[in-house]
Amino acid sequence: MSANGTNKTEMVKDAIYQACLNLDEQKWDEWLGQCDENFEYSITAHSPEIGKDMKYLGLNALELKEYFELLPKHNTDHSPLRRHATVYSVSVDEKAKTAEAVTSFLITQEMFDGVNAPLDTGENHLFVVGKYLDKLKIENGHAVFTERETRIHTRRLDKGSHWVF
Amino acid sequence: MPARNNEQWEQKPDLKKGEWVDSRIYSDEEIFEEELSRIWKKAWIPLMHESELPEPFDFRTAIIAREPVIVVRGPDNQIRAFLNVCPHRGMALDRRPAGSFLQGEPSGNAKHMTCMFHGWQFDMKGNCVEIPREKAGYQGRVTKEGQGLRRLRCETKFGGIVWVCLDDKIDCDVEGWAAGSLDCIRKSLDEEPLEIFHYHKAIIDCNYKLWHDTNSEFYHDYMHYHNRITGFDDAYFARECSAFDNGHVNVGTFTVNYGEYEVAHDRGDLTFPHLPPNNWYMVDMFPGVNVNLRGSALRMDLMTPLSANKVMIEFRGLGLKSDSKKVRDHRIHHHNTIWGPFGRNLHEDLVGVAGQGVTMMPNSEPRRILHGRHEGLYIHDEVGMRHFYDTWGKWMDRLPSDPGKKYEPGLVVGPEMPPAKGISIFPGKGAVAAE
Repeated sequence: MSANGTNKTEMVKDAIYQACLNLDEQKWDEWLGQCDENFEYSITAHSPEIGKDMKYLGLNALELKEYFELLPKHNTDHSPLRRHATVYSVSVDEKAKTAEAVTSFLITQEMFDGVNAPLDTGENHLFVVGKYLDKLKIENGHAVFTERETRIHTRRLDKGSHWVF
Repeated sequence: MPARNNEQWEQKPDLKKGEWVDSRIYSDEEIFEEELSRIWKKAWIPLMHESELPEPFDFRTAIIAREPVIVVRGPDNQIRAFLNVCPHRGMALDRRPAGSFLQGEPSGNAKHMTCMFHGWQFDMKGNCVEIPREKAGYQGRVTKEGQGLRRLRCETKFGGIVWVCLDDKIDCDVEGWAAGSLDCIRKSLDEEPLEIFHYHKAIIDCNYKLWHDTNSEFYHDYMHYHNRITGFDDAYFARECSAFDNGHVNVGTFTVNYGEYEVAHDRGDLTFPHLPPNNWYMVDMFPGVNVNLRGSALRMDLMTPLSANKVMIEFRGLGLKSDSKKVRDHRIHHHNTIWGPFGRNLHEDLVGVAGQGVTMMPNSEPRRILHGRHEGLYIHDEVGMRHFYDTWGKWMDRLPSDPGKKYEPGLVVGPEMPPAKGISIFPGKGAVAAE
């Protein structure tokens, strides 16, 4: 890989890790600021129970923005979600100035609204395991998300979440 | 009234019998064990949808009242259910949630259910077809002919729902069990084959009846911003609650104003057969089943009680088998934005019952759980819960408001309000109309 390609790989990794930080801190606007206006987001899973690929959520950039803006009007579990992610692979298309990346992640839930909050608060549970399958474009020295498929391996989701991963 | 002292707190509410329950029915382990025996092992329980076993030799496993169940589709396309137990030494015949017997297993042949432990094999009708070294070991004292699986009563009914009953002697089929409760959506379910597109599950630390309560009452729509915005008009408050034999209830339809929710759009362009655009029916069946037809998607909640304070809820979403990819994607989007694990309403509902579970753990002091709202059998009338607990009391021979006592009829339909026009009020032997 050329030095130029290496730099673009690093740009992609930087974008993914910055997105993790933004999502950890629920900085939804900053996260959307990393995304193209035509960004498409989905949470998917395969169910061996029913033998199907499933889509648990599918929103575009505008719908995501509205989704975040409406959060204060909805009741939600307050237990923060944080992730540990490792970028496994980055493929850069030099000609098209695009990239695809695969990132493995674990999301933990810091119990706040626990089964019995006075006991559970502060404990961390493993919440979801999965991979980010990202598509990005590279422009003006930055990698911008054009598509993210959050492919999860967890189907026991208990209370679920109003927060995207 | 100001905050109450202990004596005031423990006083029985100033309501009639049947309008409240003692929370020990949600937390007492002895009562829970009795429920498994007296209710869950005696009732028709829907376990899955037939599209989860689309091909011959497909199987699914499930649990009813701690009994492991395996459901298989035979080469004759018939769906049958058996205890998932090898008659030899009690090993689970198959350990997976789903799969196909077309592939052979390390211990056995293709097209058979094989117990991995000692290689006993069974066909899709539950006949024992192979006992390794049968004559050498048993000399005719144990034979294949006498070692079939334990078959269970099983019917595929109402849009392809697979129902199983552990009790061979139940005195009705699934049609009789439903007692008309599904008739409001029957044409929609039966017009053409359905297909599952969504599955996930939750294990929540609360009693199973608390989830059923939540599905049965709509007063909690105050919790859902989505429902307040898209409903809460005259048509919403005119939705009728109807009760049926065997503890079932349903809630009539109205036109949901999906476009009122900021993120959403009108959904009238896609619906179910025979269902007017943007309409929404709900059917709650005893002892813990919810069938929910909302516009373009069918939701089915099936519960597996695990302990007095723990339940597994499996959530399924279904569309039409004939859906194009575009149409299916549309249904999935509609389903998930409200009912998916990251949707608006399901999360709120689950947070709600988990909060109830916190306050009703085993051995906690009894609380008085109210369901005494009478609103003419319209949407916020809590007749659904009253009817459920009256039926529960009969099956358990316990008084829901004082479970140490024997069952007595309670108030189900309030005398204060005239019933809504045209609704069915307990057509059979079920509940009492009024004290």
